[in-house]
Amino acid sequence: MAMNPAQRRYIGRMMVVSVTYVAAIFLAGSLLPKGSPATPVSVAIALLPGLAVIGFIWAIGRYFTELTDEYLRLLEIRKALIATALALAVASSWGILEIYTDVPRLPVFWVFPIWCLGLAVGAAVNKLTLGDGGCA
Amino acid sequence: MRNRLKVLRAERDWSQGDLAERLEVSRQSVNAIETGKYDPSLPLAFRIADLFELRIEDIFLKE
Repeated sequence: MAMNPAQRRYIGRMMVVSVTYVAAIFLAGSLLPKGSPATPVSVAIALLPGLAVIGFIWAIGRYFTELTDEYLRLLEIRKALIATALALAVASSWGILEIYTDVPRLPVFWVFPIWCLGLAVGAAVNKLTLGDGGCA
Repeated sequence: MRNRLKVLRAERDWSQGDLAERLEVSRQSVNAIETGKYDPSLPLAFRIADLFELRIEDIFLKE
């Protein structure tokens, strides 16, 4: 299936942000030993991968607004809503578990990867209910 | 919502891809509308009606 212009731009942005993310992770990993004290410089370096994650979120948002095909946009928004529900459910219920039991702590870093995993769940739900997974 | 899109398309010997190209939407969209899985927005319904030179209510039918 041919990609529409919004998909092409989305994939291009995701590739740029992915390269930036990997570079920022390597930079932070090489400059900061694990558990470094939080100084303005260490915080600034450690936040670089976070800026790349904001880039991922920005690219996804742009994709939603640039998709002109209303049905494909519906599929993508449904995926995002299911992903949001899954991420909130996992984070909240695991957080409650952490309060009342001695389960291992779930670092908040994992919330966005869980949300991304939720997109795949959303695509599966789309496929089961509408017959189309989505386009990204 | 039921619709006569498949019949109207067949009368003109258009594939789903042909209709999608004329409407500037994906073939998935045409398929979803034809099979009743998705009801188009009012602007898209008007575009469909204009393309077939019919009224919206001549294409989309109440259940």
